[in-house]
Amino acid sequence: MNVIRGYKKDDEEGGKSGPFQNLEKSTVLQEARAFNDNVLNNKKCTLILTKILYLMNQGVTLTPAEATQTFFAITKLWQSKDITLRRLVYVSVKEMAKIANDVIIVTSSLTKDMTGKEDQYRGSAIRALCVITDNTMVQAIERYMKQAIVDRNPSVSSAALVSALHIFQRGAVEIVKRWVNEAQEASTSDHLMVQYHAIGLLYHIRKHDRLAVTKMVTKLSRSGLRSPFGYCLLIRIACKVLEREERSSNNMLYDFLESCLRHKNDMVVYEAARAMVNLSNITARELQPAVSVLQMFLSSPKAVTRFAAVKTLNRIAMIHPDVVTSCNIDLENLISDTNRSIATLAITTLLKTGNEASVDRLMKQITSFMSEISDEFKTVVVEAIRSVCIKFPRKHHILMTFLANMLREEGGFDYKKAIVNTIIAIIEENSEIKDVGLSHLCEFIEDCEHIELATRILHLLGREGPRTQKPYKYIRFIYNRVLLEAATVRAAAVTSLAKFGASCEDLLESILVLLERCLLDNDDEVRDRALLYMEVLKQKQKSLSSAFILNPISVSVVGLERALLAYCSQPNDDPFDIKTVPIETTPYNETPKSIGEVTTGGSVIKSAPVASKHDIFVEQLSAIPQFSKLGPLFKSSDSPVELTESETEYVVRCVKHTYLNHLVFQFDVTNTLNDQLLENVRVEMEETEGFSIISYIPIASLPYGQPKTAYTLVGIEDNTIVSGTFLNTLKFIVKDCDPNTGEPDDDQGYDDEYVLENVDILLSDHMQRIVKPNFAASWEEIGEENQTEGTYALSSMKDISDAVKQITGFLGMQSCERSDQVDHNRTSHTLLLAGVFRGGHEVLVRARLAQTGQVTMKMTVRSKDLNTCELVAAAIN
Amino acid sequence: MDVFKRLATWLGITNKKATVLCVGLDNSGKTTVINHFKPPQTKSEEVVPTIGYSVEKFLISRISFTVFDMSGQGRYRNLWEQYYPETEAVIFVIDSSERLRLEVAREELHALLEHPVIKQKRIPICCLANKKDLKDALSDVEIADKMELAEIADDKPYNIFATNARTGEGLDMAMDWLSEQIMTIK
Ligand SMILES: Nc1nc2c(ncn2[C@@H]2O[C@H](COP(=O)(O)OP(=O)(O)OP(=O)(O)O)[C@@H](O)[C@H]2O)c(=O)[nH]1
Ligand SMILES: [Mg+2]
Repeated sequence: MNVIRGYKKDDEEGGKSGPFQNLEKSTVLQEARAFNDNVLNNKKCTLILTKILYLMNQGVTLTPAEATQTFFAITKLWQSKDITLRRLVYVSVKEMAKIANDVIIVTSSLTKDMTGKEDQYRGSAIRALCVITDNTMVQAIERYMKQAIVDRNPSVSSAALVSALHIFQRGAVEIVKRWVNEAQEASTSDHLMVQYHAIGLLYHIRKHDRLAVTKMVTKLSRSGLRSPFGYCLLIRIACKVLEREERSSNNMLYDFLESCLRHKNDMVVYEAARAMVNLSNITARELQPAVSVLQMFLSSPKAVTRFAAVKTLNRIAMIHPDVVTSCNIDLENLISDTNRSIATLAITTLLKTGNEASVDRLMKQITSFMSEISDEFKTVVVEAIRSVCIKFPRKHHILMTFLANMLREEGGFDYKKAIVNTIIAIIEENSEIKDVGLSHLCEFIEDCEHIELATRILHLLGREGPRTQKPYKYIRFIYNRVLLEAATVRAAAVTSLAKFGASCEDLLESILVLLERCLLDNDDEVRDRALLYMEVLKQKQKSLSSAFILNPISVSVVGLERALLAYCSQPNDDPFDIKTVPIETTPYNETPKSIGEVTTGGSVIKSAPVASKHDIFVEQLSAIPQFSKLGPLFKSSDSPVELTESETEYVVRCVKHTYLNHLVFQFDVTNTLNDQLLENVRVEMEETEGFSIISYIPIASLPYGQPKTAYTLVGIEDNTIVSGTFLNTLKFIVKDCDPNTGEPDDDQGYDDEYVLENVDILLSDHMQRIVKPNFAASWEEIGEENQTEGTYALSSMKDISDAVKQITGFLGMQSCERSDQVDHNRTSHTLLLAGVFRGGHEVLVRARLAQTGQVTMKMTVRSKDLNTCELVAAAIN
Repeated sequence: MDVFKRLATWLGITNKKATVLCVGLDNSGKTTVINHFKPPQTKSEEVVPTIGYSVEKFLISRISFTVFDMSGQGRYRNLWEQYYPETEAVIFVIDSSERLRLEVAREELHALLEHPVIKQKRIPICCLANKKDLKDALSDVEIADKMELAEIADDKPYNIFATNARTGEGLDMAMDWLSEQIMTIK
């Protein structure tokens, strides 16, 4: 730590000096005029050019005019033969190409350099040339590129191959495809890098042709490569193919992976082992050979090899701990490795594979050097603790203590966040330890610099605190936040206090006093919240408290903003209707990830969607004029449904979008035949009762390999019918075309069609999940007068947890109060679900499940909208 | 070679450097002309249409020339002016056999001469009536007439030479004249 501090200090002081500090863009550009001198000073020009590049890389932007002027000055530097200067010229040409106009003017100069005698110029000239050449001009340099790919000089050949890949990815697909023969020749090069780059290019050219890729991998692996990089690449390619299909159907590739485990180069062996570990659905038995080679690496004298091996074993231990058990002895040898990263990974792996008895010993060992490792590895430790918690619930107390100690020590945000998440996960899992956990978190927020964590914990306290034995003991901690923290945290604290007031009658009076004090806060938000909560609490009405304090609205913030803007832009006498606002699609992280889901070194294995899909859909759909009058998008189906078998000529996936009175079916269509151009592509649907087809939006032209989207707009005619099945046919005009250019052979096409799988519309398509943090309060709020009830025998369901899963999925509602977690030792369970039905009607479901031979269910549905109530109840039959 | 050059510079034998702009319509033979002057080992075997420009350096009668060989294609002609400010002479190459485009060549030449940067410069203009070997070729006198060279302002010495860039015929005479002009102006 001291070392780091010392370094930082130096860094800060050093930051103010340096030759390129405080450069002014205008001054530097002024200096660049020296490039125009008839007699060039190489040294001076080199320095100026470096300054320009430095500025650009620091994020200083040049206007197109500035860039163009500078660019033309740079072109004059070609008269200098100075090698350093010329290479800087190449670099700057590449940079300028992004902004300046007419960069194409250096084409001849660059082609001259790339074919010239000076080898030092050639590779860089190729790279620069490919950057300035746009797709329409590639043809002009094609001849040079082909020659360069097979050039005897490896740096030239590599540069050409890599540049070809860039051009290819920029979209000049057909031209680059014509270079396959040259790339093929380069792939047999003796030079390791050239071979590697050639394989890379060949792969990208064939990427969409699964058969060709498989062929390429088998052929290259049979003939044997010189380049270990090449092997690693082949391994990765093989995995990509295997990922997309049933492994059993492509034994050849799998055998190739296995054979690489016996390669003489460690890098290749490791790559193969890692690849196998990452294959989805790999069984424990299949992993055995990979684990064996990794085990051998554990005793390698090279730290990097040991590190790689233990890191990968750590990963395996998360999914198949049993397979790794065989390495326990070797791992034990590493727990005191002087490389602390290796030691940490060894210990955390052992925590996952070892038995309960070893937990104490390992935790002690790791405590001894916890202060020596970086945050990233501390996070690994936290994640390991999390998984130990699932395995050994009896260890919760000691692990909680350990976590609390970690929380007290120094550390960055991600690390602290991981600890807090783990503590929360343990609390959720084990109610006995809830009090202790909450106290640790209370202590943590007393001195917590991370606003995000503080607000999160305050939120948790507001939800969980009132349900503990002694709610009053948390009030002090929360109120302290109101006195000491930033406005965001103060606001969160006020909300948290109000929740105690709403849930615990005996605390209400004191809470009102505390809230009253908040009215003097200097932040608007804090004052507003306090005032609102006070007024609500004073009414002493359960339904009001539920709607405004315990279960606040869960609309999408972006959607709310959009709806308010739309409302304000048109003069309107009606009041704003909150029901028109789309619901938050990804419910904010109310229940943190179950502790079964683990991350490693910060990288999440099961990653949650980050960008809001909803917002992306809204943007795409609202761009289509036919859909602009449909109102806000209510819901989109979660994952696209495949309407074609895999490996057919056309691939069609369907996403369903629900509006207030309409459905939009989105069909993503891919044409996998390179000798066909499809036109006027649409999916014709057969009407079904309650729904009517309004219009089709076809794809005008669908060339090979580029997915495009067609839509069908359907009206919902009858609000008492929510489900139906649509029969679909893909219709289009086929034109045969030249596989190389994509140009149709003649203008005359013929009609063709292709039958697709059916698409079902279900209740869940009309339902949006919402979270009710306090379900009971909302339940009371809607009241008994708005409910329907029924008893059902669920003969098709195996057991209670199966029923819970199926009912939740079928209704498309959100489980609340962790009622999705079923205790397997009990024969009854209550499932609580919340949702919003199309049209903005909130609906709650309480399903009491019991198992007596078969599963039976008594289901109560509450909604203020009677139709919704009945639809949900009827859907179960 | 380099040693000699340095020695020569030191002795003051070649102490002159000149930046020259070589322009003219596409396919008129600019790159071929310049290729002729390059030392044998750096000569390109085949000449392809220039895209943008290219810089060449060579030595003729004690002057070290830096020539900007511009592309003559229509879409690049507006880029010539980027190189006007530094230039100390202009070589304008004309394809003598291409009667149809002589008018275009004349317009381009006079546009160049009227350009404010060139206008205020006292620099020699060397016109080459190239491809004289072709049977449709006009004579240098006819070209001079059609190109209205007589209109060139008095401060700019000019001359025209009939050349064949493939064989080099006429080129040496042209360059001798140009070198002399450069020496006297400086
Ligand atoms: N017969 C004949 N052909 C010539 C002569 N000079 C050049 N050429 C040919 O004319 C063609 C064009 O020559 P270039 O030197 O590329 O012309 P350029 O003016 O540089 O053309 P751009 O670079 O496109 O502006 C080539 O095929 C030359 O071989 C000449 O004196 N006689
Ligand atoms: Mg040329």
